[in-house]
Amino acid sequence: MSAAEAIDSPMIDQREELEARSDNAIPLREVIAMAEKVTSALKPLVRSLDKSMYRELKEMLDCIEELRGDLSKVDPDDIFSRRIPEMGRELSAIVSATEVATNSIMNIAEQVMDADKSDPATYAKFVEQHMLAIFEACTFQDLTGQRVTRVIQTIEVIEERIEVLCRMIENNQITPNAPRVSDTEKRNRARLVKGPANEGEGINQDQVDAMF
Amino acid sequence: MQLDTNMRILIVDDYATMLRILRNLLKQLGFENVHEASDGQAALKQFETNKYDLVISDWNMEPMTGFDLLRAVRSNPETAATSFIMITAESATENVIAAKRAGVNNYIIKPFTSEILQGKIETVFQQQVA
Repeated sequence: MSAAEAIDSPMIDQREELEARSDNAIPLREVIAMAEKVTSALKPLVRSLDKSMYRELKEMLDCIEELRGDLSKVDPDDIFSRRIPEMGRELSAIVSATEVATNSIMNIAEQVMDADKSDPATYAKFVEQHMLAIFEACTFQDLTGQRVTRVIQTIEVIEERIEVLCRMIENNQITPNAPRVSDTEKRNRARLVKGPANEGEGINQDQVDAMF
Repeated sequence: MQLDTNMRILIVDDYATMLRILRNLLKQLGFENVHEASDGQAALKQFETNKYDLVISDWNMEPMTGFDLLRAVRSNPETAATSFIMITAESATENVIAAKRAGVNNYIIKPFTSEILQGKIETVFQQQVA
Protein backbone atom coordinates (compact mmCIF):
# COMPACT_ATOMS: atom_id res chain seq x y z
CA MET A 1 0.00 0.00 0.00
CA SER A 2 1.37 3.41 -0.96
CA ALA A 3 1.64 6.27 1.53
CA ALA A 4 -1.24 8.06 -0.21
CA GLU A 5 -3.45 4.94 -0.06
CA ALA A 6 -2.56 4.50 3.61
CA ILE A 7 -4.00 7.95 4.28
CA ASP A 8 -6.97 7.74 1.93
CA SER A 9 -8.42 4.42 3.15
CA PRO A 10 -9.10 5.22 6.87
CA MET A 11 -10.13 8.76 5.98
CA ILE A 12 -12.73 7.51 3.49
CA ASP A 13 -14.10 5.05 6.07
CA GLN A 14 -14.30 7.78 8.66
CA ARG A 15 -16.03 10.17 6.27
CA GLU A 16 -18.63 7.59 5.28
CA GLU A 17 -19.28 6.85 8.94
CA LEU A 18 -19.79 10.52 9.73
CA GLU A 19 -22.07 11.06 6.73
CA ALA A 20 -24.23 8.17 7.83
CA ARG A 21 -24.97 9.88 11.14
CA SER A 22 -28.38 11.61 11.35
CA ASP A 23 -27.30 14.28 13.87
CA ASN A 24 -24.61 16.78 12.98
CA ALA A 25 -22.98 16.79 16.43
CA ILE A 26 -19.63 14.97 16.57
CA PRO A 27 -18.36 14.03 19.99
CA LEU A 28 -14.90 15.22 20.96
CA ARG A 29 -13.55 11.71 21.47
CA GLU A 30 -14.49 10.84 17.88
CA VAL A 31 -12.68 13.93 16.61
CA ILE A 32 -9.61 12.92 18.64
CA ALA A 33 -9.89 9.35 17.35
CA MET A 34 -10.07 10.66 13.80
CA ALA A 35 -7.08 12.90 14.37
CA GLU A 36 -5.15 9.92 15.74
CA LYS A 37 -6.06 7.87 12.68
CA VAL A 38 -4.94 10.67 10.38
CA THR A 39 -1.67 11.08 12.28
CA SER A 40 -0.85 7.39 12.20
CA ALA A 41 -1.82 7.20 8.53
CA LEU A 42 0.45 10.14 7.72
CA LYS A 43 3.43 8.72 9.61
CA PRO A 44 4.87 6.59 6.74
CA LEU A 45 4.47 9.47 4.30
CA VAL A 46 6.09 11.98 6.66
CA ARG A 47 8.90 9.50 7.33
CA SER A 48 9.59 8.98 3.60
CA LEU A 49 9.29 12.70 2.88
CA ASP A 50 11.57 13.39 5.82
CA LYS A 51 14.31 11.14 4.48
CA SER A 52 14.24 12.45 0.87
CA MET A 53 13.97 16.09 2.00
CA TYR A 54 16.81 15.58 4.44
CA ARG A 55 18.93 14.04 1.69
CA GLU A 56 18.18 16.93 -0.68
CA LEU A 57 18.79 19.56 1.98
CA LYS A 58 22.05 17.87 2.93
CA GLU A 59 23.19 17.91 -0.71
CA MET A 60 22.27 21.59 -1.00
CA LEU A 61 24.12 22.37 2.20
CA ASP A 62 27.22 20.50 1.01
CA CYS A 63 27.06 22.38 -2.28
CA ILE A 64 26.76 25.74 -0.49
CA GLU A 65 29.65 24.81 1.82
CA GLU A 66 31.80 23.86 -1.16
CA LEU A 67 30.88 27.10 -2.96
CA ARG A 68 31.65 29.11 0.19
CA GLY A 69 35.02 27.40 0.43
CA ASP A 70 35.82 28.12 -3.21
CA LEU A 71 34.60 31.70 -2.98
CA SER A 72 36.80 32.31 0.04
CA LYS A 73 39.75 31.18 -2.09
CA VAL A 74 38.81 33.77 -4.75
CA ASP A 75 38.62 36.52 -2.11
CA PRO A 76 37.18 39.24 -4.38
CA ASP A 77 37.53 41.88 -1.64
CA ASP A 78 41.27 41.35 -1.54
CA ILE A 79 41.47 41.63 -5.35
CA PHE A 80 39.33 44.76 -5.68
CA SER A 81 40.24 46.66 -2.54
CA ARG A 82 43.95 45.86 -2.32
CA ARG A 83 45.61 44.13 -5.26
CA ILE A 84 44.16 46.01 -8.24
CA PRO A 85 44.60 49.49 -6.66
CA GLU A 86 48.15 48.49 -5.66
CA MET A 87 48.84 47.41 -9.23
CA GLY A 88 47.48 50.76 -10.49
CA ARG A 89 49.79 52.62 -8.10
CA GLU A 90 52.80 50.57 -9.23
CA LEU A 91 52.04 51.27 -12.89
CA SER A 92 51.53 54.98 -12.22
CA ALA A 93 54.87 55.04 -10.43
CA ILE A 94 56.50 53.36 -13.43
CA VAL A 95 54.99 55.93 -15.81
CA SER A 96 56.10 58.78 -13.57
CA ALA A 97 59.64 57.40 -13.04
CA THR A 98 60.19 56.88 -16.75
CA GLU A 99 58.84 60.36 -17.48
CA VAL A 100 61.20 61.98 -14.96
CA ALA A 101 64.16 59.99 -16.28
CA THR A 102 63.33 60.74 -19.92
CA ASN A 103 63.04 64.44 -19.20
CA SER A 104 66.35 64.44 -17.29
CA ILE A 105 68.12 62.66 -20.14
CA MET A 106 66.62 64.96 -22.76
CA ASN A 107 67.54 68.06 -20.73
CA ILE A 108 71.13 66.86 -20.60
CA ALA A 109 71.16 66.01 -24.30
CA GLU A 110 69.81 69.46 -25.16
CA GLN A 111 72.47 71.12 -23.00
CA VAL A 112 75.21 69.10 -24.71
CA MET A 113 73.82 69.91 -28.16
CA ASP A 114 73.68 73.63 -27.37
CA ALA A 115 77.05 73.78 -25.60
CA ASP A 116 79.88 75.99 -26.88
CA LYS A 117 82.26 73.76 -28.85
CA SER A 118 84.93 76.39 -29.51
CA ASP A 119 87.23 75.15 -26.72
CA PRO A 120 87.60 71.38 -27.18
CA ALA A 121 89.05 70.77 -23.69
CA THR A 122 86.25 72.62 -21.88
CA TYR A 123 83.66 71.01 -24.15
CA ALA A 124 85.04 67.52 -23.48
CA LYS A 125 84.91 68.07 -19.72
CA PHE A 126 81.35 69.45 -20.00
CA VAL A 127 80.23 66.45 -22.03
CA GLU A 128 81.87 64.00 -19.62
CA GLN A 129 80.08 65.56 -16.64
CA HIS A 130 76.76 65.42 -18.45
CA MET A 131 77.26 61.83 -19.56
CA LEU A 132 77.57 60.87 -15.89
CA ALA A 133 74.29 62.62 -15.19
CA ILE A 134 72.70 60.51 -17.96
CA PHE A 135 73.95 57.35 -16.24
CA GLU A 136 72.43 58.59 -12.99
CA ALA A 137 69.10 59.23 -14.68
CA CYS A 138 69.17 55.68 -16.08
CA THR A 139 69.03 54.19 -12.57
CA PHE A 140 65.23 54.44 -12.86
CA GLN A 141 65.37 51.16 -14.77
CA ASP A 142 66.25 49.20 -11.61
CA LEU A 143 63.27 50.62 -9.71
CA THR A 144 60.81 50.20 -12.56
CA GLY A 145 62.07 46.62 -12.99
CA GLN A 146 61.19 45.86 -9.38
CA ARG A 147 57.80 47.49 -9.73
CA VAL A 148 57.04 45.51 -12.89
CA THR A 149 57.96 42.31 -11.04
CA ARG A 150 55.43 43.17 -8.32
CA VAL A 151 52.74 43.84 -10.93
CA ILE A 152 53.49 40.46 -12.55
CA GLN A 153 53.16 38.75 -9.15
CA THR A 154 49.77 40.38 -8.57
CA ILE A 155 48.60 39.32 -12.03
CA GLU A 156 49.66 35.75 -11.22
CA VAL A 157 47.57 35.83 -8.02
CA ILE A 158 44.54 37.12 -9.94
CA GLU A 159 45.13 34.45 -12.60
CA GLU A 160 45.10 31.71 -9.93
CA ARG A 161 41.83 33.00 -8.53
CA ILE A 162 40.21 33.24 -11.94
CA GLU A 163 41.23 29.61 -12.41
CA VAL A 164 39.38 28.71 -9.18
CA LEU A 165 36.31 30.56 -10.49
CA CYS A 166 36.52 28.73 -13.81
CA ARG A 167 36.66 25.38 -11.99
CA MET A 168 33.60 26.40 -9.95
CA ILE A 169 31.73 27.31 -13.11
CA GLU A 170 32.72 23.99 -14.70
CA ASN A 171 31.72 21.88 -11.68
CA ASN A 172 28.42 23.61 -11.11
CA GLN A 173 27.69 23.86 -14.83
CA ILE A 174 26.97 27.54 -14.46
CA THR A 175 26.75 29.15 -17.87
CA PRO A 176 29.03 32.14 -17.79
CA ASN A 177 27.81 35.38 -19.26
CA ALA A 178 29.36 36.52 -22.50
CA PRO A 179 32.58 38.46 -21.82
CA ARG A 180 31.75 42.10 -21.14
CA VAL A 181 33.31 44.53 -23.57
CA SER A 182 34.18 47.78 -21.83
CA ASP A 183 33.37 51.17 -23.37
CA THR A 184 37.09 51.88 -23.80
CA GLU A 185 37.53 48.57 -25.63
CA LYS A 186 34.56 49.33 -27.91
CA ARG A 187 35.94 52.81 -28.64
CA ASN A 188 39.43 51.49 -29.33
CA ARG A 189 38.07 48.84 -31.69
CA ALA A 190 36.21 51.52 -33.63
CA ARG A 191 39.35 53.67 -33.73
CA LEU A 192 41.52 50.71 -34.80
CA VAL A 193 43.63 51.26 -31.68
CA LYS A 194 45.44 48.17 -30.44
CA GLY A 195 48.61 49.61 -28.96
CA PRO A 196 52.13 48.22 -29.22
CA ALA A 197 52.39 44.66 -30.43
CA ASN A 198 54.11 42.01 -28.34
CA GLU A 199 57.24 40.22 -29.48
CA GLY A 200 56.43 38.18 -32.58
CA GLU A 201 53.11 39.92 -33.20
CA GLY A 202 52.27 42.67 -35.68
CA ILE A 203 54.51 43.60 -38.58
CA ASN A 204 57.97 45.18 -38.62
CA GLN A 205 59.26 48.25 -40.42
CA ASP A 206 60.62 46.23 -43.37
CA GLN A 207 57.19 44.67 -43.93
CA VAL A 208 55.57 48.10 -43.72
CA ASP A 209 58.10 49.48 -46.21
CA ALA A 210 57.25 46.66 -48.61
CA MET A 211 53.61 47.76 -48.47
CA PHE A 212 54.57 51.27 -49.54
CA MET B 1 68.20 64.65 -53.13
CA GLN B 2 68.48 67.90 -51.14
CA LEU B 3 65.54 68.37 -48.81
CA ASP B 4 64.19 71.82 -48.10
CA THR B 5 65.12 72.10 -44.43
CA ASN B 6 62.94 75.17 -44.15
CA MET B 7 59.77 73.23 -44.89
CA ARG B 8 56.93 73.66 -42.40
CA ILE B 9 56.47 70.51 -40.39
CA LEU B 10 53.62 69.84 -37.95
CA ILE B 11 54.32 67.11 -35.42
CA VAL B 12 51.29 65.67 -33.61
CA ASP B 13 51.48 63.51 -30.49
CA ASP B 14 49.68 63.50 -27.16
CA TYR B 15 52.91 62.67 -25.32
CA ALA B 16 54.92 65.81 -24.65
CA THR B 17 58.03 63.62 -24.39
CA MET B 18 57.46 62.22 -27.87
CA LEU B 19 56.95 65.71 -29.28
CA ARG B 20 60.22 66.73 -27.66
CA ILE B 21 62.08 63.71 -29.06
CA LEU B 22 60.67 64.36 -32.55
CA ARG B 23 61.49 68.05 -32.37
CA ASN B 24 65.09 67.30 -31.39
CA LEU B 25 65.51 64.60 -34.00
CA LEU B 26 64.18 66.92 -36.70
CA LYS B 27 66.44 69.68 -35.41
CA GLN B 28 69.44 67.33 -35.70
CA LEU B 29 68.34 66.53 -39.26
CA GLY B 30 68.35 70.28 -39.98
CA PHE B 31 64.62 71.03 -39.81
CA GLU B 32 63.98 74.15 -37.76
CA ASN B 33 60.47 75.10 -38.88
CA VAL B 34 58.72 72.58 -36.68
CA HIS B 35 55.31 73.13 -35.06
CA GLU B 36 53.52 71.00 -32.50
CA ALA B 37 49.99 69.82 -31.71
CA SER B 38 48.81 67.52 -28.95
CA ASP B 39 46.12 65.61 -30.92
CA GLY B 40 44.17 65.57 -34.17
CA GLN B 41 41.75 68.30 -33.18
CA ALA B 42 44.54 70.65 -32.10
CA ALA B 43 46.33 69.93 -35.38
CA LEU B 44 43.23 70.73 -37.45
CA LYS B 45 42.86 74.00 -35.52
CA GLN B 46 46.41 74.91 -36.50
CA PHE B 47 45.62 74.09 -40.13
CA GLU B 48 42.97 76.83 -40.03
CA THR B 49 45.65 79.52 -39.80
CA ASN B 50 48.78 77.79 -41.08
CA LYS B 51 49.95 75.82 -44.07
CA TYR B 52 52.21 72.83 -43.61
CA ASP B 53 54.37 70.87 -46.02
CA LEU B 54 54.50 67.78 -43.85
CA VAL B 55 52.52 66.30 -40.95
CA ILE B 56 54.18 63.69 -38.75
CA SER B 57 51.49 62.21 -36.52
CA ASP B 58 50.96 59.54 -33.90
CA TRP B 59 47.87 57.30 -34.30
CA ASN B 60 46.53 56.72 -30.79
CA MET B 61 45.50 60.10 -29.38
CA GLU B 62 42.51 61.51 -27.49
CA PRO B 63 40.10 62.96 -28.45
CA MET B 64 41.01 62.76 -32.16
CA THR B 65 43.27 60.03 -33.48
CA GLY B 66 45.99 60.46 -36.08
CA PHE B 67 43.95 58.27 -38.43
CA ASP B 68 40.97 60.64 -38.18
CA LEU B 69 43.32 63.59 -38.64
CA LEU B 70 44.68 61.95 -41.81
CA ARG B 71 41.15 61.52 -43.19
CA ALA B 72 40.25 65.10 -42.27
CA VAL B 73 43.39 66.47 -43.94
CA ARG B 74 42.78 64.43 -47.10
CA SER B 75 39.10 65.39 -47.31
CA ASN B 76 39.78 69.12 -47.21
CA PRO B 77 40.85 70.42 -50.67
CA GLU B 78 43.02 73.08 -49.02
CA THR B 79 45.08 70.55 -47.06
CA ALA B 80 44.65 67.40 -49.18
CA ALA B 81 48.08 67.70 -50.79
CA THR B 82 49.97 67.90 -47.48
CA SER B 83 52.45 65.07 -47.01
CA PHE B 84 51.55 62.85 -44.09
CA ILE B 85 53.73 60.37 -42.18
CA MET B 86 52.28 58.24 -39.43
CA ILE B 87 54.63 57.35 -36.55
CA THR B 88 52.95 54.82 -34.33
CA ALA B 89 53.15 51.71 -32.21
CA GLU B 90 50.11 50.36 -34.11
CA SER B 91 51.75 47.59 -36.09
CA ALA B 92 48.77 45.44 -37.09
CA THR B 93 48.61 44.88 -40.84
CA GLU B 94 45.03 46.16 -41.00
CA ASN B 95 46.13 49.48 -39.47
CA VAL B 96 48.82 49.98 -42.09
CA ILE B 97 46.38 49.03 -44.86
CA ALA B 98 43.71 51.38 -43.46
CA ALA B 99 46.20 54.23 -43.24
CA LYS B 100 47.44 53.58 -46.78
CA ARG B 101 43.90 53.54 -48.11
CA ALA B 102 43.21 56.81 -46.28
CA GLY B 103 46.17 58.37 -48.10
CA VAL B 104 49.14 58.26 -45.73
CA ASN B 105 52.46 58.83 -47.53
CA ASN B 106 54.54 56.69 -45.21
CA TYR B 107 54.31 54.75 -41.99
CA ILE B 108 56.92 54.41 -39.24
CA ILE B 109 56.62 51.90 -36.43
CA LYS B 110 57.81 52.90 -32.96
CA PRO B 111 60.51 52.59 -31.73
CA PHE B 112 62.34 54.21 -34.61
CA THR B 113 65.70 55.83 -35.28
CA SER B 114 66.54 59.23 -36.72
CA GLU B 115 67.85 57.44 -39.84
CA ILE B 116 64.45 55.85 -40.42
CA LEU B 117 62.72 59.20 -39.92
CA GLN B 118 65.10 60.93 -42.30
CA GLY B 119 64.72 58.11 -44.84
CA LYS B 120 60.93 58.33 -44.80
CA ILE B 121 60.90 62.12 -45.13
CA GLU B 122 63.24 61.82 -48.11
CA THR B 123 61.11 59.06 -49.67
CA VAL B 124 57.94 61.12 -49.31
CA PHE B 125 59.43 64.16 -51.01
CA GLN B 126 61.16 62.09 -53.71
CA GLN B 127 57.76 60.60 -54.57
CA GLN B 128 56.30 64.09 -54.81
CA VAL B 129 59.05 65.24 -57.20
CA ALA B 130 58.59 62.10 -59.31
